[in-house]
Amino acid sequence: MYDGYGNPPGMRMPPPNPHPGQFGNAFNGPSSGLIRTGLEAYGGRFLDSSSEFMQSNINRYFSNPQYYFHVNDQYVRNKLKIILFPFFHRGHWTRISEPVGGRLSYKPPIYDINAPDLYIPFMAFGSFIILAGFTLGFMGKFTPEAINLHFTRALIGWALQLVILKGLLYSMGGGEVPLLDLVAYGGYLFAGLSLAVVARLIWAYSYYIVMPWMSLCMGVFLVRTMKRVLFTEMRSSERHSSRQHYFLLFMAIAQFPLFFWLGSIGA
Amino acid sequence: MAKEFPVPPVVFTPSTPTHRRPPPPGAGASPPPAFAPPRPSTSSAANPLPFMSFDVNAAAASSSAPPLYAGPIGVGSGTSFEDEPPLLEELGINTRQIWRKTISILHPLRSADPSLHADADLSGPFLFLLSFGLFQLLAGKFHFGIVLGWVTVASLFLYFVFSMLSGGRRGDLDLYRCVSLVGYCMLPMVIFSAVSLFLPRGGGLMFGVGMGFVLWSTRVCTRLLAELASSGDEHRGLIAYACWLVYMLFSLLLRAGSRRWAGTPFDTFQQNTPIPRCNHD
Repeated sequence: MYDGYGNPPGMRMPPPNPHPGQFGNAFNGPSSGLIRTGLEAYGGRFLDSSSEFMQSNINRYFSNPQYYFHVNDQYVRNKLKIILFPFFHRGHWTRISEPVGGRLSYKPPIYDINAPDLYIPFMAFGSFIILAGFTLGFMGKFTPEAINLHFTRALIGWALQLVILKGLLYSMGGGEVPLLDLVAYGGYLFAGLSLAVVARLIWAYSYYIVMPWMSLCMGVFLVRTMKRVLFTEMRSSERHSSRQHYFLLFMAIAQFPLFFWLGSIGA
Repeated sequence: MAKEFPVPPVVFTPSTPTHRRPPPPGAGASPPPAFAPPRPSTSSAANPLPFMSFDVNAAAASSSAPPLYAGPIGVGSGTSFEDEPPLLEELGINTRQIWRKTISILHPLRSADPSLHADADLSGPFLFLLSFGLFQLLAGKFHFGIVLGWVTVASLFLYFVFSMLSGGRRGDLDLYRCVSLVGYCMLPMVIFSAVSLFLPRGGGLMFGVGMGFVLWSTRVCTRLLAELASSGDEHRGLIAYACWLVYMLFSLLLRAGSRRWAGTPFDTFQQNTPIPRCNHD
């Protein structure tokens, strides 16, 4: 998750200028030069030989991750408001599409509040880990192994969310949604979860109020988003089917156990 | 039953045959190489140990021995010992540069000079991480490997987020420089780990002081990242939050885990045997 899969832009780095400092061979010394030239050679060879094959195959599974990081401060603030309080969002939920090169593609998150992004999920994931560490510290049970445990748990929770969303799409027959979109939608749960953990740090009993509220908000957000996604993906004969509604309801209800499992820190 | 080992007197001479020095002419007929098993015919009066045979016989002639031990190290093909560059220079550790970079980070109000950090090195960060681990060891926690692993993961994370956010116009930030930056900006955390040895553990004071140091680290790191990458100005807040997360992680390590020897095999040992120990809870 932390390495740049997809097309990391500019992976072939130009060699840096050797700094003519006091020690002339500080950069070309045996320790750093070998590693650097080795990495450059390896990276260059990797790109040259298999770039076309990798790119054609990767674009089938991952869209360009750059698109999901095209954000700014204002987008992040407004998107957080939508995620945490989806009832108050008065606007529409559809993504703005624009024709780009003959194909229909969506506008990047910086122009469209409904577009998914990957910055918020990553930051919310990190915040959740930090907050879990805080909670453990206040309970007196902090060890670095516990942090690793919660990290793994959060990753599994994210993967479960992804499986639910993907399963929903498969069962409805629309499989054209890029994987990173679903990763982004699945990762938004950490924002609500972090807020619930913060509330628990402030006052212990607020956990039982804020946690179900956050699960409900996430359920509503996901239902509304996936409804739009399904709307654009599916054929017209199958819209508004009751099966679709049951699946969406299942997805919303599945948020509750997921949130409570991830939020049980130190249990 | 002390056994007496008569150690032969050791004389270092240039005529001691090694890989690097040709035997001087006239030193004697084919002196055997050092560390070779001693031939019984050339045994000296002392009893030479088979693994430690300094050939003293052939070297007894010259008395003006330069104080160099030219052992069979084999570094440098034929250059003499004095011509080699000093060890730190060969390793690429530029101590003056490390000192300058450290001083530039230490001023919390004056902005750090980014041109100093244009050439990255990992020896300064390694020193900081070692001292961080040392202060933690003084507090009874053995966290060396954890700190090294977390720094690696954190700088990978920061590099990934930063390169994605600035959309390919990264300037000259590469992974090596990112690790170096993260390591250098750990300096306030190292100071905090030293300070935290004297603060009451787990109190609000430690929380407040820790938050101050974390913010200092974040500020320096964000400024250096933004200036070095030459395109990070519009995403300063976003990058600052990522840096803040990284340094909060390290402050967690400092603040908690107050049991003695937490996280080492001593844990289970002390849980099984009822030895009275003082708790710092």
